[in-house]
Amino acid sequence: MNEPDRKKTSHKPLLTLNSIAKAFGGVQALWNISFDLKEGMVQALIGPNGAGKTTLFNLITGIFTPDSGEILFDGRPIGGKKVYDLVQVGIARTFQNVELFGSMTALENVMVGQHVRTRCGFWSAVTRTPWMVKEETASRKKALKIMAFVGIDHLANRRSSELSFGWQRLLEIARALSSSPRLLLLDEPAAGLNTVETRQLGTLLKKIQAQGITLLLVEHDMGLIMDISNRIVVLDQGEKIAEGTPREVQSNEAVMSAYLGRSEH
Amino acid sequence: MLKFLNRDRLSYAVFFIAIAIIGLSVENYYYVQLLTFIGINTILALGLNMLMGYAGQISLGHAAFYGLGAYTTAVLTVHYGFSPWLALPCAILLSMLVAFLVGLPTLKLSGYYLGMGTLGFGMIVHIVFREWSSMTGGSSGFIGIPPLEIGPVSFSQIRNFFYLVWLTVLISFIVSKRLIHSRIGRALRAIHDSENAARAMGINTRNMKLEIFVFSAGLSALAGFFYAHLVSFISPGTFSFIVSIKIVTMVVIGGMASVWGSLLGASLLTMLPEWLHAFSEFEMVVYGLILMLVMVLLPQGLTRGLLDIYERTRSKKDQP
Ligand SMILES: Nc1ncnc2c1ncn2[C@@H]1O[C@H](COP(=O)(O)OP(=O)(O)OP(=O)(O)O)[C@@H](O)[C@H]1O
Ligand SMILES: [Mg+2]
Repeated sequence: MNEPDRKKTSHKPLLTLNSIAKAFGGVQALWNISFDLKEGMVQALIGPNGAGKTTLFNLITGIFTPDSGEILFDGRPIGGKKVYDLVQVGIARTFQNVELFGSMTALENVMVGQHVRTRCGFWSAVTRTPWMVKEETASRKKALKIMAFVGIDHLANRRSSELSFGWQRLLEIARALSSSPRLLLLDEPAAGLNTVETRQLGTLLKKIQAQGITLLLVEHDMGLIMDISNRIVVLDQGEKIAEGTPREVQSNEAVMSAYLGRSEH
Repeated sequence: MLKFLNRDRLSYAVFFIAIAIIGLSVENYYYVQLLTFIGINTILALGLNMLMGYAGQISLGHAAFYGLGAYTTAVLTVHYGFSPWLALPCAILLSMLVAFLVGLPTLKLSGYYLGMGTLGFGMIVHIVFREWSSMTGGSSGFIGIPPLEIGPVSFSQIRNFFYLVWLTVLISFIVSKRLIHSRIGRALRAIHDSENAARAMGINTRNMKLEIFVFSAGLSALAGFFYAHLVSFISPGTFSFIVSIKIVTMVVIGGMASVWGSLLGASLLTMLPEWLHAFSEFEMVVYGLILMLVMVLLPQGLTRGLLDIYERTRSKKDQP
């Protein structure tokens, strides 16, 4: 009874985009974008600069609302939901330009990630009720566990702004994981990393996938993409120009010309 | 046992003992009164520091909440015969309610715009204090605010008032520290560091800013309550724009995001006018100069700045 059910869920789309469009003033950042993201998959989103990748992330996380089209998360439309509602239902993200809480320690950063999974308010913070103390302890423990999982637990008490760029990227991932997401959006996680760090990142992303978390990542590093992604969606100038397995996309004419055509200038 | 004696608790204990010793040993009436004013200003600075230092939201109209606390208790006790202890929660709640209503639209703003918004609000409230003469006594002020007393203890004895204010300071410190070291405090600091990322972590930044604004207004009203009952006479000038700037200066000098810095900033800015009697007409200029100097030389405020200098010289010494 359970078996076929589970099989079905693993093929169920966790995220569905139906003809999404978004314009900023005169710039059509996205036009008629549709694709599915199946649960448990690693899907890459690639495309030249300005293709609309980050904009798509901002739509999925509720920062912007699409001009038209529909986004479904786990079968339910997310239109009109606030960013914090979407974190609550299980969508987490990292930023293209690392955006950590610089004055706080690495551990505190990861604890902020649990904001929607904890509930201490003003009053309980002041009165320090036993459950609040318990929640605080549990939250710290969970944060440390996640930092260990990512491989940065030795940095727990360092100010996040003092960390090297590579550590900061990992810290952002830890912070995002801390909200116990079902879908994790990574915006160029390998940008600024050296080859060794990039390889380690690949290993980490596979580990995250093994935890049952679905990944959508924007990346320019083709080696990393070919290594870890199950599917690739290609955007160019706001439109989807290709979609398929890494092998299919690699041999796609439109993709080649989009990339080559752009790199000339 | 060791766990019980953590650093915060230890500093509270030291603070408590210091209050007792100072209260017992300082004889001169004038000094006890000055110290009491420092306590009141510390509550005021702490209130703004929670908003500005931790959550990173500026307010250039905080004297309005200070004044609302003072005028509410004055009006209720004198015109309506309330006991001051009943007027106290009314003053705080009214101030918080006003903060809520004002914060709702203004906290959507940020940076300069938030500064301008709160500045305008502070000016409007100041005008109300001055012009609503039938209630507030207008620009000539409000006289005859009754002294505080609890049973046989009268706070018209300045020494008792000193203890009352400084115990309240201690409690405000404990409350603020607890807030800061909690999920709420982390969310506030997150908003300060990157509002964008804070939002992406699921923090309802708008509510959070509103809540700390309201909390901050409550502390300011508490300070206003003490002020009114201490001096028994209030006038609009005490709650003017200059005072709002003075509170900002206290926070910046003492150190943003530092609870103990509020104490330092309030102490300096309360004593300064006493030292600089000759400059009284240039008070504003002096604050401006201090603000500029601190911003240029010690942008983290005196507390953090001096600690940094201390650490730097020490690490230099450690090096061969
Ligand atoms: N907030 C905004 N306001 C106005 N225009 C925007 C905004 N965000 C993005 N755009 C525009 O939308 C287009 C797509 O930008 P986007 O950042 O999504 O590209 P991208 O694929 O992430 O590029 P990159 O690889 O450089 O990160 C660009 O033309 C950009 O200038
Ligand atoms: Mg981008």
